[in-house]
Amino acid sequence: MKAFRSMVLVSSDPLSIERGANEVYQVLQKEIKGFGLQDEISLTMVGDVGRHDSSPLVIVYPEAVVYGPVKPEDVHFLVEEHLYKGRIASEFQAPARELTGRIAWLSARKGTLPAEQRIVLERAGIIDPDSIDDYLIHDGYQALVKALTEMKPADIFTVLEKSGLRGRGGAGFPTGSKWKFVAKAPGNKKYVICNADESEPGTFKDRLILEGDPHSIIEALTIAAYAVGADEGYIYIRGEYGLAQERLSKAIEQAHEMGFLGKNLMGTDFNFELHVHGGAGAYICGEETALIESIEGKRGEPRARPPYPTTHGLWGKPTLVNNVETLANVPPILRHGAEWYRSFGTPSSPGTKVYTILGNVNVTGLIEVPMGITLREVISIYAKGMKHGAAFKLAQTGGSSGSIIPASLQDTPMDFDSFSKAGVALGSGALLICDEETCVVDLAKSLVNFFRKESCGKCNPCRIGTQRIYEILTNISEGTGRMSDLDDLKVLNENLYQLSNCGLGQTAGAPIRDILNYFRAEVEAHIRLKVCPMGICPMSGKKI
Amino acid sequence: MVTVTIDSKQIEVPEGTTVLRAAQSSGIHIPTLCDHPKLTPYGGCRLCLVEVEGARTLQPSCTMPVSNNMVIHTDTQKVLDARKFVLTLIFSERNHFCPYCQVSGGDCELQNSAYDEGMTHWPLSPNFQPYPVDASHPYIIMENNRCILCRRCVRACGELVGNYTLGFEERGAKSLLVADTGVALGESTCISCGTCVQVCPTGALIDRWSAYHGHDTQADTTQTICVGCSVGCGIDVLTRDNNLVKINGNWDAEINGGVICKLGRFDAMEEKCDRIATPLVRKDGALKAATWEEAIAAAANGLKSAGMNSAEIAAVISTRQPVETLSAFKQLFGGKLGSTNLTTLEEGEFTRSTAKLAEESGKAFEGKLADLKAADSILVLGADLVSYHEVVGFFTKRAVPAGTKLLVVDTKENELDRLANKALKAGKGSIEDTLNALTAAVVKLGLAKGKTAVKAGDLDALASKTGLKSEEYLDAAFVIASGEKPVILVENGVLPAAIADFAELIDARIISVKGNANSLAASQLKLENPLNFKASKVAFIVLGDDDASQKMIKDVEKVPFKIVQATYASALTANADVVLPSTNWLEQGGHYLNLDGHLQQAHRAITPAEEIMTAEESLTALASKLGFTLENSWEKELQQRVSSVVLE
Amino acid sequence: MGKPKVSTDWLAGCAGCHMSLLDMDERLATVLELADLRSSPITDLKEPDESGVDVGILEGGINNSANKEVAERMRSRCKILVALGDCAVFGGVPAMRNFFTIEESLRRAYVEAESVDESGKIPDDPELAVPMKVHALQDIVPVDVFVPGCPPDADTIFYVLAELAQGRIPEIKGDKLHWH
Repeated sequence: MKAFRSMVLVSSDPLSIERGANEVYQVLQKEIKGFGLQDEISLTMVGDVGRHDSSPLVIVYPEAVVYGPVKPEDVHFLVEEHLYKGRIASEFQAPARELTGRIAWLSARKGTLPAEQRIVLERAGIIDPDSIDDYLIHDGYQALVKALTEMKPADIFTVLEKSGLRGRGGAGFPTGSKWKFVAKAPGNKKYVICNADESEPGTFKDRLILEGDPHSIIEALTIAAYAVGADEGYIYIRGEYGLAQERLSKAIEQAHEMGFLGKNLMGTDFNFELHVHGGAGAYICGEETALIESIEGKRGEPRARPPYPTTHGLWGKPTLVNNVETLANVPPILRHGAEWYRSFGTPSSPGTKVYTILGNVNVTGLIEVPMGITLREVISIYAKGMKHGAAFKLAQTGGSSGSIIPASLQDTPMDFDSFSKAGVALGSGALLICDEETCVVDLAKSLVNFFRKESCGKCNPCRIGTQRIYEILTNISEGTGRMSDLDDLKVLNENLYQLSNCGLGQTAGAPIRDILNYFRAEVEAHIRLKVCPMGICPMSGKKI
Repeated sequence: MVTVTIDSKQIEVPEGTTVLRAAQSSGIHIPTLCDHPKLTPYGGCRLCLVEVEGARTLQPSCTMPVSNNMVIHTDTQKVLDARKFVLTLIFSERNHFCPYCQVSGGDCELQNSAYDEGMTHWPLSPNFQPYPVDASHPYIIMENNRCILCRRCVRACGELVGNYTLGFEERGAKSLLVADTGVALGESTCISCGTCVQVCPTGALIDRWSAYHGHDTQADTTQTICVGCSVGCGIDVLTRDNNLVKINGNWDAEINGGVICKLGRFDAMEEKCDRIATPLVRKDGALKAATWEEAIAAAANGLKSAGMNSAEIAAVISTRQPVETLSAFKQLFGGKLGSTNLTTLEEGEFTRSTAKLAEESGKAFEGKLADLKAADSILVLGADLVSYHEVVGFFTKRAVPAGTKLLVVDTKENELDRLANKALKAGKGSIEDTLNALTAAVVKLGLAKGKTAVKAGDLDALASKTGLKSEEYLDAAFVIASGEKPVILVENGVLPAAIADFAELIDARIISVKGNANSLAASQLKLENPLNFKASKVAFIVLGDDDASQKMIKDVEKVPFKIVQATYASALTANADVVLPSTNWLEQGGHYLNLDGHLQQAHRAITPAEEIMTAEESLTALASKLGFTLENSWEKELQQRVSSVVLE
Repeated sequence: MGKPKVSTDWLAGCAGCHMSLLDMDERLATVLELADLRSSPITDLKEPDESGVDVGILEGGINNSANKEVAERMRSRCKILVALGDCAVFGGVPAMRNFFTIEESLRRAYVEAESVDESGKIPDDPELAVPMKVHALQDIVPVDVFVPGCPPDADTIFYVLAELAQGRIPEIKGDKLHWH
């Protein structure tokens, strides 16, 4: 394996590309060659590393210096100064910011505030995602080797259960127990599936893992397959994540070549084949049974449960379905042990959580922090406060499994139990942070509009209920609402929860419940006074 | 068995039973809309929600399997409120306006459910968004305004018929029932079997022939069988004031389990020909209306003019006639009049070779339709199951998505090719050659379960004889012979011993599709000779509501005296000397022996006009005019010969 | 307590429900004994008393501004409002026109209909009521009793009136409940 002295990363999110990242990459290639450095320096395009205001970024390791925005004409100077002469070209450095991307992790934090702690994002943005060698130098596949050679499935369950790892897809189900159920389910043929259909609004945490560290998912799935007794697996990747599909497919090929996938792994009689399956743009396919239907080639509609996928999953066989982030936690836990994992987070929710911060804050992007930090901490430390110093009004925690968190709950620790005690939900890990100028009717309307459009249409309450809620909210936002609409909304929301088939329908009315709980006066103003206090709703007097 | 408590009633049901079926089995009513006993539970309508103790939310009883000691409530206020809410939503979604709907007033399950829940109005108003109405199909109207998106039709089209024409486009509130990829139903892959109409709980799919002719719930229903082909599907014939309203598949029928084809459902709805209303006798060169006495006398006189115990009387009968008529026909013309020129319109084409094989081996060798339903690999050998014997085609088509392997061997395009795991088209050689090559391939793959003289080494030579590569045969052999319960479907009675040998080799069951409803019974009565009018002086043709071939119409022209018993006017009746009006299949009862040996009884659903007799009645009248008495001995006659299938 | 005062009126309907009301024949006498029939399209008095009535009965849906006024006036003057018949309860046959624009419906009726000659034109007298989307009664005013049916049977109407006259809210179920 070739050893490089430096690694150069070029950001390649859509904005960077638009601003000429590809040209920068090409010039870098030329210049590195020009200085005869091609054997010493590795050059890679990475995905989205955040810090869009300075993109395209050029990041140089091991010094972790971030340059940006870099223009093709700057490249010659940068290569000469930094890579050839070894001097940091400080005039091209991106404005100092320690929060997003790799930088936050590298520069050790000082002070009493909780630091970002990277477990699942450990390698994202550091390694070359297209290189299995790079993954291997960074402790890759060690957990798999350990699992296959030193551990029995029962040992793996024990470690996972001791670690207290809970599903990161939204529901928070204990991972060890789920694995055990599948292992215990009768049947010779079993499947493992990685749910990478990340489509909750505002959530893109899995994307970074998939694009930045694809082998970690392959490793985790292989361990899972070994533990539950599966010999075939699928990674169901959201249709829009083209790069992730490409990278995973390539990584699977590499893993095959290196003997981490295929027959008789590590000399055992354990065989495992892995397929990448692309979604086709349906949000509902993130629901595990709809995802299974979709892999089977059917219309993506959630199945009735019970029976659960753990016993009757893909093609009717016992199937383990785990979220990307959940799986990414597995190799580190196996490498370092349950005790180590428990040293992060809270006793009932150990470990870290990746959040995507969006909304009216100064800094948006991805963070991985220990479970149990508060929303106030997230906003003040990682998001660098509200934009224009506005007051925080509420946050939405992402998609159907999330909820609206009012300012009064911003000091509640963000972990599964504290949140469920407070009657809110952690959701998919998005933190859509809204300031005082946000209209709750408008917010709820756009959330319900999303659910209405993404409802699969199978069950009546969800298909029709979301449509009716949307119509009522539209009327309220147009100034044609009636007070009796609020009763209708309440009935609709309650029944949606009770009557719907899957999580989408059950929680589609949650924004209604939340805004009526926390912001009723604001909603009533729309109806009684025909005024949107924030001046956002159209209030045109139209009725649908 | 597990014990569950439903509404404080303790019941025992087998494990895996759904809560809904458990409740139904003990007489507890739970309203449903998307549920249908013949379809996979779906859980979409949510009307059947019940309270399960310990569950976080209400549970759909149609998909919820029972577990031991489960406690279920179906009549709590929470459940009743939920039902009303579900109905409220459904009525708010599309445009359910009962006053002008065909199914309103008893036939609409949605309306009935609303009445049951005491709904006097719709708490949420619909928004009057119009949805498409598709009237492009000759038999079916798709009225999306009345659709409740329960997917019964979609499931029926796929699961029962295997056609997968109906489906849904878009999602959420935009979900819309469409044919294929959104084409007009009339231009789609629909095969007009009408199963979707039969399962539709509302007026979203209606059949244009029966629409507004009367409610199902107010019609008289006769349970009988279809005589359209040799499958013998169970049907319900709905009539009102002795008029046909519609024909439905009988869900409880063993043979077809409720599915029927276009022929069975819609053919009888269109009376396409002129009915013969009175007996006709040719006088002075023209056919004139006559009384039955005159006509029977004319027929008897005609018969007397021909020599007995010879080929001078040619007698032909349709295989759509019940066994009773076939037997009376045989007794009169064969036994009493001694004609040696006795056959059916089919001339034994579909049964002669199978019957011969059975007689030679002295035992039945064919399988049953039930074997087809249990098959894990199917070989369709030259059979066209799409234009005729369609229900056998449904069984084949619906098995494929469920994992059954399909091999189609044919010399021409076969509609099932596109579904097949492998389709073999031999360019030359005989069917024996193809089977020999297939046999060699089976041996080569080591999948032979029986003995054969063919050797693996012969494959290349045998394959090239048919113009195909050896690999083709290896693929094909794997498809059919890797199954544990293979079934071979053949048609046209082309059943050379080679097929039987091949079936033995791979331990397969053979099912041969026959001709008309009573082909097998005619074969048992040995009515299977080739037709020959050359030496005939008198021809007696029991046509009934069948069609005669052009060849026969031409051949019979030269016969000096012709007596035709027919339902509809045709070239045959126009040339006849005596025409006896006959009932159609719905106006007569009797027994039929279907392709796999089930003896079934058809029942009269419509009372014929006074002037019309069944063929059996007029044959009896004719016999007595000639001084004979006919016996009721058909049951014995059916048994007088070894059959290719076990008779039941 | 004296006899309850009852007023009826019809909106966008076919008057069939009132015909069905008359269809109760000799039982009309019983109803008149039990109740004081005030205004009605089939009597001389056309508007409910300003002082109010106990029971208001409306047939038909609401398809223009005049209907809306009548419905709102009835609602404001009666204690119990009864929606009589499918049009009042659901919108009924007139609601079929909701699938078209009002312009299209008017053109069809006044210009394109087979019985209209070339002089046909859409009436444009400003005095005329403004047509609107056809609504069920409950979309415009709160309704207390729903009596669906096209039309409801005379038996049902008799039952409803008898119950109301005796101070009870009628319960429409079983044979009395039908939507056609």
